[in-house]
Amino acid sequence: MEITLKVNGTERHLAVDVRTTLLDALREHLDLTGTKKGCDLGQCGACTVLMDGRRVLSCFTLAVAAQGAEVTTIEGLATEDGPLHPMQQAFLEQDAYQCGYCTPGQILSAIACVEEGHARTDDEIREYMSGNLCRCAAYPKIVAAIQQAKPQMERA
Amino acid sequence: MPDGTTPHFGPATIRIDGRAKVTGAARYASDETVENPAWAFLVTSSIARGRILGFRLDEARAVQGVLDILTHENVGGEAEKPKPMAGGDTTETMESDRIWHDGQIIAVVVAESFEAAREAAHKVRPDYEEEAPSASFGSAGVVEEVRKAGEHKDYRVGHAERAFRDAEFRVDQRYGTPTQHHNPIELFTTTCEWRDGKLTVYEPSQFVYGLRGNLAKQLRIAPESIRVVSRYVGGAFGSKGGITARTAWIAVAARRVRRPVKLVSTRDQGFTIVTYRAETRHHIQLGADRNGKLTAFRHEGWEVTSRPSQYNVSGTETTARIYACPNILTKVNIVHADRNTPGFMRAPPEGPYMYPLECAMDELAFALRMDPIELRRINDTQTDPATGLPFSSRSLMECFDKGAARFNWSARNPVPGATRQGDWLVGYGCATAAYAANIGASSARVTLTPDGRARVQIAAHEIGNGAYTVLAITAAEQLGLDVADVAVELGDTNLPAAGLAAGSNHTAAISHAVAKACDGIRERLARAAILANDSPFAGGDPAAITLSGRALNGPGGAQESLARALARTGEGPLEVTAENIPKGLPPDAMEKVRQGQMAMSRGHSRDDVTAYAFGAQFVEVRVHARTREVRVPRALGAFASPRIVNPMAAHSQYMGGMIWGIGAALHEKTEIDPVAARYTNDNIAEYLIPVNADVRSVEVLMVPEKDETVNPLGIKGIGEIGIVGMNAAVANAVFNATGRRVRDLPIRIEDLL
Amino acid sequence: MRPFTYERPDATREALKAAAAHAAPPGEGRIRAPAHYLAGGTNLLDLMKIGVAHPSALINIGPLHTEHGRIEASVEGLALGALVRMAEAQEHPAILRDYPVIAQTLQLAANQQLRNMASLAGNVLQRTRCNYFRDPSWRACNKREPGTGCAALEGNNRHLAVLGVSDHCIAHYPGDFANALAALGADVSILALDGTARRIPFEELHRLPGDTPHVETALQPGELITGFHVPAGPWTRRSLYVKVRDRESFAFATASAAVALHIEAGEVREARIGLGGLAAKPWRAREAEAALRGRRLDEHTAQEAAEVAFCGAVTHSENGFKPELGRRTLVRALLQAAEMEA
Repeated sequence: MEITLKVNGTERHLAVDVRTTLLDALREHLDLTGTKKGCDLGQCGACTVLMDGRRVLSCFTLAVAAQGAEVTTIEGLATEDGPLHPMQQAFLEQDAYQCGYCTPGQILSAIACVEEGHARTDDEIREYMSGNLCRCAAYPKIVAAIQQAKPQMERA
Repeated sequence: MPDGTTPHFGPATIRIDGRAKVTGAARYASDETVENPAWAFLVTSSIARGRILGFRLDEARAVQGVLDILTHENVGGEAEKPKPMAGGDTTETMESDRIWHDGQIIAVVVAESFEAAREAAHKVRPDYEEEAPSASFGSAGVVEEVRKAGEHKDYRVGHAERAFRDAEFRVDQRYGTPTQHHNPIELFTTTCEWRDGKLTVYEPSQFVYGLRGNLAKQLRIAPESIRVVSRYVGGAFGSKGGITARTAWIAVAARRVRRPVKLVSTRDQGFTIVTYRAETRHHIQLGADRNGKLTAFRHEGWEVTSRPSQYNVSGTETTARIYACPNILTKVNIVHADRNTPGFMRAPPEGPYMYPLECAMDELAFALRMDPIELRRINDTQTDPATGLPFSSRSLMECFDKGAARFNWSARNPVPGATRQGDWLVGYGCATAAYAANIGASSARVTLTPDGRARVQIAAHEIGNGAYTVLAITAAEQLGLDVADVAVELGDTNLPAAGLAAGSNHTAAISHAVAKACDGIRERLARAAILANDSPFAGGDPAAITLSGRALNGPGGAQESLARALARTGEGPLEVTAENIPKGLPPDAMEKVRQGQMAMSRGHSRDDVTAYAFGAQFVEVRVHARTREVRVPRALGAFASPRIVNPMAAHSQYMGGMIWGIGAALHEKTEIDPVAARYTNDNIAEYLIPVNADVRSVEVLMVPEKDETVNPLGIKGIGEIGIVGMNAAVANAVFNATGRRVRDLPIRIEDLL
Repeated sequence: MRPFTYERPDATREALKAAAAHAAPPGEGRIRAPAHYLAGGTNLLDLMKIGVAHPSALINIGPLHTEHGRIEASVEGLALGALVRMAEAQEHPAILRDYPVIAQTLQLAANQQLRNMASLAGNVLQRTRCNYFRDPSWRACNKREPGTGCAALEGNNRHLAVLGVSDHCIAHYPGDFANALAALGADVSILALDGTARRIPFEELHRLPGDTPHVETALQPGELITGFHVPAGPWTRRSLYVKVRDRESFAFATASAAVALHIEAGEVREARIGLGGLAAKPWRAREAEAALRGRRLDEHTAQEAAEVAFCGAVTHSENGFKPELGRRTLVRALLQAAEMEA
């Protein structure tokens, strides 16, 4: 079926199976492979994207049902050679990753975490970032990155 | 060039691949684009033992978009079963009608879309002839045998039985560790594309040449006709080291449908189509005199494996050399069950084997009323007790002392169950960590271009270890450039061969190869310079010329810019390919790597020294006084190393290993149905790994260490040692908090009620 | 996952009409109905992907949020629209102040991404995490395929229920929020296919397995939950949720207790107790509540109530610890609630 998605500010027309998830639509139809498949069952957070500003799991969202929403993926945070989003920059400077596979989901989740107001303390960040698994276990550095980016995001 | 004679920790360097990772630009194997791919979906067995009588495929074939269904009936002869990286035999998949284990690949559905392939795969109906399977230790039908001498040895020093019998203090206990699965967040994916008889495979791999060489054998084609690409690996931990069965079948599928075929296996399939850490059992006997000096050490291990495999990790090779003891006896048994073949998982031998030793040491310290660190001090040694060889370096007690001071170990109450803060019981525990310093053969190509930039090309592996950055740092240092001037290409069999990224050997192996290639460049520049009349080095000694600050530098302050020196070597870039075969490896080691075999010098099988990395680990646990959840508010690891290339990424590696260890001690366990011999919690909602909220303070101390013999650059591996002491440190802390000694991991609520 | 038709009605009436267009097998409850309502999708898509649910029609009721997405607190109590997202309710000021147990059951469930997606009604209807149910390659599961048996009885049943189980099924109800609704004596509003509204006690929504574990709720095919009503009471402010789990967050309860207390002059006037992670359905421990009424709440009486709560527990090979953990969890929750300022 033909659908229209609004991804990173651009309307994209594509033909998908009714069963296609937003995750697979991004990865396999729009070549936006920054959004990762880690379990396809809502257990890891690697596929986290923002929909109308809220963080959601793209593996549990049907592409057809995502029509009409503003979808933001990791590719939408910075232009190819442009400055990074403060959260991306903070992940870089804090070494808040290792293999990098869960990182796009972590970063989108972290941005939402700050915007929701759930980054008031380290403990609160830990709790509200617990939906994003990191098998390399960069967790303490992810908390540090969020603490680093938060004031910059609030100023912006 | 820094070497092991003086400890050298480089400057903390932001990863050069960091931008790609934080922008989503990094291409992991399943992110690589291929033209018009068909999709594969695996069908796996729902029984653990028996035969396939046949398939009912009508329903599956009727699914719109289905292109092909592969089973043993139509493709069984098209590939041979894969050779495990550790050697020996393994189970089959679609080579025959035999079912060796639960979740074995029995069919591959290929369709126009992922959705269609999945639907059809769910509609494939195999008919089985079932036999009663054996799940694990204690199940009817398992076969136990003493591990044959092969890669691993047993140790017999003195008379351990007699010494144990005569010991004043004795610990005689049994311990167990569970089945565990790597569960990298990246799934096990494979994309295969044939073009003009050549096959390209995109698959996350810890050894692209290994994948190539072994796949070539399976498909009975020349290795040169296969290219393996794996630029980024989304976590591996051993699971992507050896070839597994899926790859060949996807290659066969792509040949049959004449299109690229893409497989993204499911999370639950990842529990059975690759390897895992087998469950182990241990019997430990420690004998000591009243001063705590060990008089006897016996360690017998049991490990589960598949029916045909002899796979074992034999961590007694490490436990036999941790403490001075005149009487040592080790033995390892393997237990064959109807399971898939296990394999490497982060600290394969040390993880499960150091746990019982370090718990037993804690039990001995308690029996002796001695501080556990003091017990380790009394039994510390600079000589390998199993062989009599010196350790290349061993700063264990320095790690304990620095760690203890920083952790405030002296605040520990030695009386178990006696410290309470609010609703929580508090306990401290510590343990020794050790990991063999291994190094493999590797080659690399380095190119210096006239614009003063360098390119490093090597089929090494970025698995989170920071390989891209380590090599940029190494090349920049050797060539006198900035890190930003170095581009690094990895993960492709079109590049010079590098070995397996495992056994904490990779940084050592590939850094030496790159350093050697850089030295080749230095030498070419230097030789040209001494021959040129217009050079300040004319007629000098090329060996005295070094590269730094974008210039050649010589005795007496002689200097020449790199650009000028390079122009002298001819038009265009200067390219050098070098091989490094570490001491102790045979001359054909590099050729072996190219063919896809392991060629690694092991820290415990050298003939000059025993080379290990050591560390000390400390844990504070809190156990809820009523409901008995265990939490870890604080952990600290002190690790000794002669050289740290990038302290920033190294810190992450140590820290990540420690957190892994917390999970291993408290959460991780693959549950197996005792009757059906099938995994049941084969997902990451119920196979628990730590989440962010589980982790609070994790401190890492890097302790500089002098070592002149481990290898020329003084690099000891860091990727695995972080987990080694954690199991025991947590268990010992739980004992300190509660008085409850839990000897079977993981330690869960029900063990403490 | 099999193909399905997809509809996105704009209004409740159309949604019911769309559901009515799909014939349902009689007497099997809504789970096996051909048409399913899709709200957050966090459980339904999960079950479809793993081959447990096979709807032939999905009716996306997301747009109905405007009709059933309100949170209203009044003197009578709390009205929660069925399509209120978990994240919307978890920090609602009136809920935080007057019904802390509800806020906590939501905050401690799943993760923020899932809570941003999942509706309250969908959360309440989430299905068991019994791994024998969740993997169709296990042949014996009476809940998935009636009459096939129960592999969990002799299998890995550490997580499974000890209260309300039968010889046919020991699957547990895994949710959190529903335990608060059960404890607080909520009602649930339901619309039938023909538009008829009914309101039943929340406790009657989920059914015990008995010999028909595949029939999980009182909902008929096509029926739509529209909201929940939590009656006000002097106990709702002194309420909390203790969730004991293997890891600190993003994990299902190994045992949990939702409690609400009305304490006056040092005596328990009313106690409300819901138990999670332990039972076949959201579980209200009425006998334990009764054991506390009119007594001082202390270690001793809390223990007595906990004993009563688990006197009917039935354990299997791996979950023998659960009654003891459940008792301790309940005692912990009761004593902690007694210390609250309310």
